[in-house]
Amino acid sequence: MQDRSSAERLLNPPPDSALARARDFGVDLTLIAARLKLTPEARLDDLQRLIDDLEAAHAPNARATSARRPSADDND
Amino acid sequence: MIKLRQIIELLAAHEVEIVIVGGVAMTLHGSAYMTFDLDVCYARPNENLRRLAAALSPHSPRPRDLPEALPFVWDASTLRNGMNFTLSTDLGDVDLLGEVKGVGSYNEAREASVIMQLYGYECRVFTLDALIASKRAAGRPKDLLVLPELEALREMS
Repeated sequence: MQDRSSAERLLNPPPDSALARARDFGVDLTLIAARLKLTPEARLDDLQRLIDDLEAAHAPNARATSARRPSADDND
Repeated sequence: MIKLRQIIELLAAHEVEIVIVGGVAMTLHGSAYMTFDLDVCYARPNENLRRLAAALSPHSPRPRDLPEALPFVWDASTLRNGMNFTLSTDLGDVDLLGEVKGVGSYNEAREASVIMQLYGYECRVFTLDALIASKRAAGRPKDLLVLPELEALREMS
């Protein structure tokens, strides 16, 4: 869990800190801030939801791809 | 797709001695990294191999790179005769590591772990230091890319 000083460090990382380097590398520190508010179990549940959402999003695409796949009749 | 809760509960209920490593351990520490499998470092004493084999046995474990036509026997002897296994199961992909680069075997991994409460069980999870050491040792681009975030998380902890 985050206290106020931790949240402040994430929003304004000190120069030459690992946080500043991560931010400059492209890491979204607001995502870290959001996850650090959760318990480890809640973080895992979040990951599972993302995985499930991705699976659900891919399922219709997979069917659409399959439906578009040319058949032997298409060559006629 | 992986069913993280079910696999973790399954292994914990069978009292399999493991340390959660890899992407799921990163998530547990607060990383935004997305992973699609569960990596664990497992203890190699025979009793633990029997428990591990029994836990996964109902879920059709099979090496992901093994052609379907080839037979595969899943039991404690198979575990004894191998070290690292990249398995598909009907609960998702599970990587069983007898050793983790940069850290060592189960005893070292256990030393480099913290206990987290997950779904009513006390689970061992790699520390951020161990994750950083293992990613550095693995050294692939995908491992090195996560180092800045892990180091930031370590600074926050």
